[in-house]
Amino acid sequence: MNRALQTSATLLCDLLIIGAGGAGMRCAAEVLGKRPNSRVIALTKVPHPQKSHTSTAQGGLASVDPADPADKIIYHMFDTWKGSDCMADQNVVKKICEAAWEQVIWLENRGMHFSRNQDGKLSKRTFGGHTLNFGERSAFRAVFEADRTGKGIMDTAWGESMKQGVSFLNQSIAAELLFSDDQCVGAMVFLQKEGKFARILSRATVLATGGSGQVFKVTTNCRQNTGDGLAIALQAGLPILDPEAVQFHPTGIVGPGILASETLRSVGGILRNKDLEPFMEHYAPKMKDLAPRDLVSRAIETEIRQGRGVLNPDHHIEHVWIDLRHLSQKVHEEQIPEVSGFFKQYVNLDARTELCPVRPSNHYHMGGIPTNLSGQVLNSSQNPVPGLYAVGECAAASFHGFNRLGTNSILELITMGKFVGESVLEFLKEAPQKPAEASAVKTFSRFSEYLEGRGTDSIGQIRDALRTLMTANVGVFRTESGISEAIGALKELNERAQKVSLSNKSLAMNQELMQRWEMDALLAVSMVIARAALARKESRGAHFREDFPERRDEFNHHTLASMTVFGDVALARRTVDMSVFNAGGAHHENFNLIERKY
Amino acid sequence: MEKIYKITLRIHRYDPDIERSWIQEYRVDAGRILRFVDLFRKINDEQDPSLTWNSSCEHGQCGSCAVRINGKPMLSCELLVENAVAYFNTTLFDIEPLTIAPVVRDLVVDIEKAYEKVNRAKPYIIAPKPAAEKAAEYCITPQELEKYVAATRCINCFCCAEACISSPKAFLGPNALLASIVRVMDPREQEKTDRLALLYSDQGVRRCHTSKACSFVCPKEIDVAYFIALAKSGRFDPNP
Ligand SMILES: Cc1cc2nc3c(=O)[nH]c(=O)nc-3n(C[C@H](O)[C@H](O)[C@H](O)COP(=O)(O)OP(=O)(O)OC[C@H]3O[C@@H](n4cnc5c(N)ncnc54)[C@H](O)[C@@H]3O)c2cc1C
Ligand code: SF4
Ligand code: SF4
Ligand code: FES
Repeated sequence: MNRALQTSATLLCDLLIIGAGGAGMRCAAEVLGKRPNSRVIALTKVPHPQKSHTSTAQGGLASVDPADPADKIIYHMFDTWKGSDCMADQNVVKKICEAAWEQVIWLENRGMHFSRNQDGKLSKRTFGGHTLNFGERSAFRAVFEADRTGKGIMDTAWGESMKQGVSFLNQSIAAELLFSDDQCVGAMVFLQKEGKFARILSRATVLATGGSGQVFKVTTNCRQNTGDGLAIALQAGLPILDPEAVQFHPTGIVGPGILASETLRSVGGILRNKDLEPFMEHYAPKMKDLAPRDLVSRAIETEIRQGRGVLNPDHHIEHVWIDLRHLSQKVHEEQIPEVSGFFKQYVNLDARTELCPVRPSNHYHMGGIPTNLSGQVLNSSQNPVPGLYAVGECAAASFHGFNRLGTNSILELITMGKFVGESVLEFLKEAPQKPAEASAVKTFSRFSEYLEGRGTDSIGQIRDALRTLMTANVGVFRTESGISEAIGALKELNERAQKVSLSNKSLAMNQELMQRWEMDALLAVSMVIARAALARKESRGAHFREDFPERRDEFNHHTLASMTVFGDVALARRTVDMSVFNAGGAHHENFNLIERKY
Repeated sequence: MEKIYKITLRIHRYDPDIERSWIQEYRVDAGRILRFVDLFRKINDEQDPSLTWNSSCEHGQCGSCAVRINGKPMLSCELLVENAVAYFNTTLFDIEPLTIAPVVRDLVVDIEKAYEKVNRAKPYIIAPKPAAEKAAEYCITPQELEKYVAATRCINCFCCAEACISSPKAFLGPNALLASIVRVMDPREQEKTDRLALLYSDQGVRRCHTSKACSFVCPKEIDVAYFIALAKSGRFDPNP
């Protein structure tokens, strides 16, 4: 018997923001700053916007200071293009790099507590892949707030939007986008605390749901990063751009996945396998442990796959060691105190005397909901969907291509957040005053299915199997047979998931029900990642195919993956924008198809 | 290196549908470096999927996972089994939700209600002073920043508010005051009158007993009581 689920309320607004992280809040602040009486509702899955994933970003935010005589915007553009392995869209790269500094000032003027130099100006530091003069030497391009830059951005963007009157619906999920004709007119929302469904009708809707790291077993991402935005876009028949482009950081701390910074290797840390052999010399005889991120990640995974990993008994995760024991007391105290602190805190090891367990950790999803330069979501024919926008990690205007440079994500949040805000403002001028009516099609049937499952399987076990499978077969290394096997296994997991019976059938703050819903998102996102990875028979950026280890020109295109029925993935292509190269002009040759060598 | 602890968790549960609360005991075999959030997840996966708790970042950066463990407010994502056993000298743990806000279910409290106090403190710049140069940053020296930067590290986990010995009803509480004090000390903020009115209101700093309980429990090691004491000393008040 179907439990009668019903809509408890219909809310009307001008702008619905799905996801109150850094990207969503920057956008909200822009809209309200220019149009103060707008009704803006922002949803977040977490108990409060401050608990969003953006708060955890550490390193910094890249932007060329116009007062810096050495650095130029064109260098930042080049680094981003090269880092992307020639898959970023150049018009997007140009727009974001040019807008960067103004947005840094926006944040600073609104109270972000950036670290300062002796002159009282913003301090800057270097980050991997950021260079001067087209690769000549490292650039000091990242502004930062100690090791909590993301928190500074989150607090500032949240503070500004609160000040201007955003209404927050915390601990609420958008379960389905609503359409009237082909226009997006809001979303169906499940309010977790109350256990109620609300229909939010809005004139414009922005997806800003963040990453999907929970698809993998070891990840630096928040618990809630289950790829919901991608899943609801897929469900609405929209495509995902480059889902196969997933970034791994080589040294995540087992088991929480927390980043152990690259600094460890730059000060002389050595990676060792089960037999304590320093294995990097077999993979990169010259650079050894200092080889680039993707190469080191692959070396670690190879050791593990060939049986030279160590099984962590507590987390059941295989790993290798990073050996810091030989480093001097001075290095430990002065150069790596914080990361050493993480090992103490999360694995209770003294990095000065004990080996520390690490494994590549999923870090970032370059792929996402395709948008144009102003953040309008594009449908499968690559036309804008009226009323619908996407921004942040869930979106892909394609600034990062197939490999994101450190500090470029936060930059994207604040610049694209602003542009999306501007674009929404234009749209609001034209859209009718009152949002159109529409009702949910899938939400109730899905939720009643969840509540009526009769199987004996557990969500936890299925989720664990999915995450292990994706890590082993569609992670750092990919092969045709491995991915195909994963696709088959995902179908089985999907069937198992459909039968799960919930031990608690309540609607109010039912974590189990939420996890069941998230399970569908994880399955959908995994499936499109796997299918796109299978089709891309080459290696590029973070996507590495052992059976096709070279980059191949015939794949110089974006992937578009659509899936409305689980497992039925349709793949299409989109050309990469090379407008900077095509425009000619000084330095344009650097924007041709170049090799990614460091 | 493989060591298993036999842990007993006595978790306070609450079911909003029937408005019933009870204590449920779970026994878990736990490796030394599992965190308390890992134990909760293990209970969900292996014994009782209905147990509800909160977490987000799971590495001490967001403040979502605070609960009371043997009476002490702590981040459950930071506490390792091995450390907990050593610290409390037992393998038996009482796990309770924070008391600063109504319980929604089990260990989840309605943190939005607690945030109302933070919101009243206006955690943003109300009236920014124009920067010296247009389209440039303010000049703030590292020495100036150093005076209040520790207070900007607060993640609103509410551990301090939980531990505070002053009456929660009459008092804004340590982290909400901290949010206001940061902006009083921030040279970019022009609006000081409203802020001082709040700090010295009958719900403000004078309710503080300077017990330092807040500083002792802060997972970010912020000396909350010190900042409140600065305000109490009348340091910011133009007419004390
Ligand atoms: C450890 C770490 C360090 C990093 N350091 C850096 C760095 O130094 N520099 C850099 O540039 N980048 C860094 N990054 C990457 C960067 O932090 C993220 O890419 C960025 O914060 C994503 O922001 P966002 O606004 O898109 O998403 P988020 O901040 O994740 O926000 C997403 C929001 O959507 C909500 N949401 C999700 N699903 C739903 C749903 N179904 N319904 C309603 N709401 C929903 C969430 O609750 C949340 O509020 C780092 C990442 C990690 C993990
Ligand atoms: S010092 Fe003041 S704010 Fe801190 S716990 Fe004691 S009474 Fe509360
Ligand atoms: S001051 Fe410390 S204990 Fe209090 S909310 Fe902030 S981080 Fe938590
Ligand atoms: S989950 Fe973020 S602080 Fe514990």
